[in-house]
Amino acid sequence: MWKIAVGFVLFAALALWMLSKGGDVDMGGEKHDVAPPAATTEKAPEKAPGK
Amino acid sequence: MSTATARFDGGPNAAPRPMSAEEKKVIFASSLGTIFEWYDFYLFGVMAAIIGANFFTKLDPATRNIFTLLAFAAGFAVRPLGALVFGRLGDLVGRKYTFLITILIMGFSTFLVTFLPTYTSWGIAAPVILIGLRLLQGLALGGEYGGAATYVAEHAPHGKRGAYTSWIQTTATVGLMLALMVILATRTALGEKDFADWGWRIPYAFSGVLLVISVWIRLQLSESPAFEKMKSEGKTSKAPLSESFGQWKNGKIVLLALLGLTAGQAVVWYTGQFYSLFFLTSILKVDASTANILIAVSLILGTPFFIFFGTLSDKIGRKMIIMAGCAIAALTFFPLFHALTSYANPKLQAAIEKSPVTVVSNAADCNLLLNLTGTKVFTTACDVSRSFLSNAGVNYDKVDGPVGTHATVKVGDKSVVAYDATSPTAKDDKVRFEKEVREALTAAGYPAKADPIPVFSSNWIMIVVILTIMVIYVTMVYGPIAAMLVELFPTRIRYTSMSLPYHIGNGWFGGFLPAIAFSIVAAQGNIYSGLWYPIIIAGMTFVIGMLFVKETKDVDIYAKD
Repeated sequence: MWKIAVGFVLFAALALWMLSKGGDVDMGGEKHDVAPPAATTEKAPEKAPGK
Repeated sequence: MSTATARFDGGPNAAPRPMSAEEKKVIFASSLGTIFEWYDFYLFGVMAAIIGANFFTKLDPATRNIFTLLAFAAGFAVRPLGALVFGRLGDLVGRKYTFLITILIMGFSTFLVTFLPTYTSWGIAAPVILIGLRLLQGLALGGEYGGAATYVAEHAPHGKRGAYTSWIQTTATVGLMLALMVILATRTALGEKDFADWGWRIPYAFSGVLLVISVWIRLQLSESPAFEKMKSEGKTSKAPLSESFGQWKNGKIVLLALLGLTAGQAVVWYTGQFYSLFFLTSILKVDASTANILIAVSLILGTPFFIFFGTLSDKIGRKMIIMAGCAIAALTFFPLFHALTSYANPKLQAAIEKSPVTVVSNAADCNLLLNLTGTKVFTTACDVSRSFLSNAGVNYDKVDGPVGTHATVKVGDKSVVAYDATSPTAKDDKVRFEKEVREALTAAGYPAKADPIPVFSSNWIMIVVILTIMVIYVTMVYGPIAAMLVELFPTRIRYTSMSLPYHIGNGWFGGFLPAIAFSIVAAQGNIYSGLWYPIIIAGMTFVIGMLFVKETKDVDIYAKD
């Protein structure tokens, strides 16, 4: 168990470090919009990630 | 109950023993598949803009809408279908082979994106194939979670199913971190331009590595002992679908599993992990990079609680933990999100209190701003105004005017006339309207963006604490759920029966949450009103679960075989 815990902490630390360096990666999950909406109309955001 | 064959799980009276090497391998192999699933889930989110640019932007709007609907179907319709297809297969021919098929389909449909030519090379065939691959992915994913949960639970000793299956839930965080690392490493190594040109294919190629490892490990596994025992006794179901859903005796348990367990679990999960991110970035206008790190930190801090609550559920019961998670979440979402505002964007909170905003419009012009599929457009002056204000994170009151009233936004003593998005001058009107409203909001103290939140500042720490509390709610409802679903159904129809409520609960009740919550915000004008949706659903699950769902931790999963 302790090996898993240590592995997880290291893995998490690396991920956070990369996130703090690389920055802007959307973690909202998969998107269903396939392209930006039309320009002249207002559109309620569809950010529903699906599992 | 048959006693002809030796019990793998030791039965209810077995003495406690440590996890065996074989059991560790079972958990690892099953979890790897769900890591893969999560990796893919985040990949399609992060890559949305690049995928859109390479495959969909040159399509006309009508065709693009069709593709959007198909991509939407991959998440919300095809997964429940996959739950039925592979659940049935798992109950007919066995968990191991079904499990292999789902990972192969899922793996190849992700991996093949690596080689897929773009719209520029193959024209319409490129997006058609891409959507086809996503539909296949969705189908396979529908069978993956139920298979992993069933397979692990059927290998677990009696009294440890909660602890063993809770490992599967931790894979969401691992899959996310893996996706982050692969994408960020690729992007950093190649630079933004090369990554956008061709480097985006590398994370998909990396999924090939995951596929090979997953298949290799799964090939070494044996069939689930519960299924093997049932098969050797000739007791497997001949028609799992009709037995699962066609007979009220089992059908009502499927319904209870959906309404009394997975619906509430899903909304607590989606609120804690995804709506909180949406709220931070879209409503509170926190810088996206900061918000992502805040969410990642809280997920990492909260992840061990999956194991904690899974293990605890073996001791004190699964139902009480899940119900407590739903109830506490429903009772505390409002104060937690208010607290998020006060720490993430205190200026916005002050402006909301000091300078109320009003939309005056004829009620007939105001529609329900519900956009589940992402294809709908809203054009009336009332809808345009409310959409704009909701997107800007501005609270507003709606005042009904007489027939013929043109929608107007009032900020303090300043009034801005809204525009109709179908008018010939809509483009110029939009620019004028947004500029004037922004100026009025700025004058009234509404910030365009949240102030930067330095790492480890007191506000940063408090936001992490609030988000972690919500992730702990997620672990309360999610940690014990796999074991509970498995224990609700007999071995002969377990895979089929548990997969469908899981995917409908999470795909529909959870997956629609952001769109429904936003439509409530836009309709009501209150930035917190979207929380009513998860609160009502979690409350419903609490009531139904408390009244009708039985505790299962002591259930002998062999008893009904």
